[in-house]
Amino acid sequence: MARLRTAAFLAPAALLALLLLYAPLAFIVNMSFTVTNSFLSPGGPVYSLENYAAMVQRYLPNLFVTVQLAALAMLVDLVLGFPFAYILVRRIRYRDLVRALMVFPMFGALYVAFGMSFILLPGGPADPLIHAFGLRNTDLLFSLPAVVFAMSIFTFPFMVMSIGTALSNVDPTLEEAAACLGARPWQTFWRVVLPLTRAGVVAGSLMVFGWSIGAFAEPLLLGSLNEQRSLALTLYKRGVVENDYGLSSMMGVVLLSVAFVVTYFSLRYSRGALVD
Amino acid sequence: MSAASTPRRRPLLSSRRLATIASHAYIWLCLILFVLPFLALLSQSLGQRGGASGLGNYAAVFGSFGDNLFWSFKITGLTLLIDLAACLPAAYALVRYPVPGKRLLFSLLQLPLYVPGAVIGLSLLLTYTFVYKIDSMWGLVLAMAVGSFPLMMTPIVVAMKDLPVMFEEASECLGATKWQTYRRIVFPLIGPGVSAGLLLCFIIVFNEYLVTLFVHPPALETAPLKVFNLVRTNGLAPTTAALAVTMQLISFLAVIVFFRIFGTRHFKGTYIL
Repeated sequence: MARLRTAAFLAPAALLALLLLYAPLAFIVNMSFTVTNSFLSPGGPVYSLENYAAMVQRYLPNLFVTVQLAALAMLVDLVLGFPFAYILVRRIRYRDLVRALMVFPMFGALYVAFGMSFILLPGGPADPLIHAFGLRNTDLLFSLPAVVFAMSIFTFPFMVMSIGTALSNVDPTLEEAAACLGARPWQTFWRVVLPLTRAGVVAGSLMVFGWSIGAFAEPLLLGSLNEQRSLALTLYKRGVVENDYGLSSMMGVVLLSVAFVVTYFSLRYSRGALVD
Repeated sequence: MSAASTPRRRPLLSSRRLATIASHAYIWLCLILFVLPFLALLSQSLGQRGGASGLGNYAAVFGSFGDNLFWSFKITGLTLLIDLAACLPAAYALVRYPVPGKRLLFSLLQLPLYVPGAVIGLSLLLTYTFVYKIDSMWGLVLAMAVGSFPLMMTPIVVAMKDLPVMFEEASECLGATKWQTYRRIVFPLIGPGVSAGLLLCFIIVFNEYLVTLFVHPPALETAPLKVFNLVRTNGLAPTTAALAVTMQLISFLAVIVFFRIFGTRHFKGTYIL
């Protein structure tokens, strides 16, 4: 009886995940082994490894660009995010205001990318700054730095919150003790603060990386042809525009595998403990 | 005597003070960077390109884009209802009942958050077309629900864990039925957690364009999707900027209202706010 009740309570969420996530994912894994459109042909699907061969032969640069963008965005977030989280947790009293303003990037990468393209447009507000560095607008508007910057703005709050949660669990007296014992600020940081927050830093970085893997709007709106090769965009072009279901499913599976590996380690470091 | 008792004057700019100023400046620099894309859209939407005056762009938002906004609200509302129906009982069971493999189950239910949107979109597009044969609005609603329900689950689980069992035990001792206990005791006490979940889901689903791009029925265009399509076909038009600004302002308003009513502590565990 108790078991039945538990099952009934869990059923809606489990069914939702099973029918609309796990079954479709299994479906595209299957689909990724079929040739182009053969799934639709009356003779039944033709199975082969052709799509994965294409991945290795033709689409490795796409995978490389995807990982490169995500890794760069993660690095920018990490370098800018750690001091931000530290100051936020240790020094700032108006934390709610900061949090409220920090939700703006969360509204979506689309708006961030859209707004950025206005800023970088010739005649836009960033013109003086760009010219001061001796650059032209076109150097920035459709370029790798613009894409990385937009991606890192979008994911910054996740990084800050992950590090901030870890930091708020570290007792400030430990830092004071280190200072009393004669440690310089960077020694305190390197020997005391960083080791104690490592879990949060790693989990946050991996989470940001995993989210950035699927970037779509930023490369499309701000990238050059090189950045537009990113896997999520290619998947859309091949699958929805050209109807090559086999090939685009394969890219989906590749993206999925990368995201899952990253997420697995991220969850091992942070969550999971929530329901225990 | 007086010379000894007056405190030594601190220099106006000690290194400590400089560090404090620098750290506040850093925070504000980052915050400005966050809001900058929004401000750019705002100034653009008020600008005059093609003759229309600034506020005219916003008239267009509620005129020709009114349909898109309506669809956005409708889809988001239905999605939130499905999320609630899925998450409330599941979170309760995960915290209160002995479930074998609890951690694994929770992780499996959290996983949709980490699947890239394009992959969710493609897999649902293919399964809707070839297996489920769904091509109505409900396909989109279900797609939104599966992508967002983990966001609702976490704050509810945290709220449930913070709620001592004794309230429910007391209520049952006093003769309340199970349903009365849920309705009168549990739901009101986890209310803030549920609202936090609702808010998170609202701002994510309301602004979602990527999965929508894959699975939307032909006649249905939500506002974020409209923004996306217009940016691709129409370039950087002020009316598009006005629509994007409207969407962000509505979302921001929801966040501010929530913060004023409940505060921020209910987002514990979500790592997002």
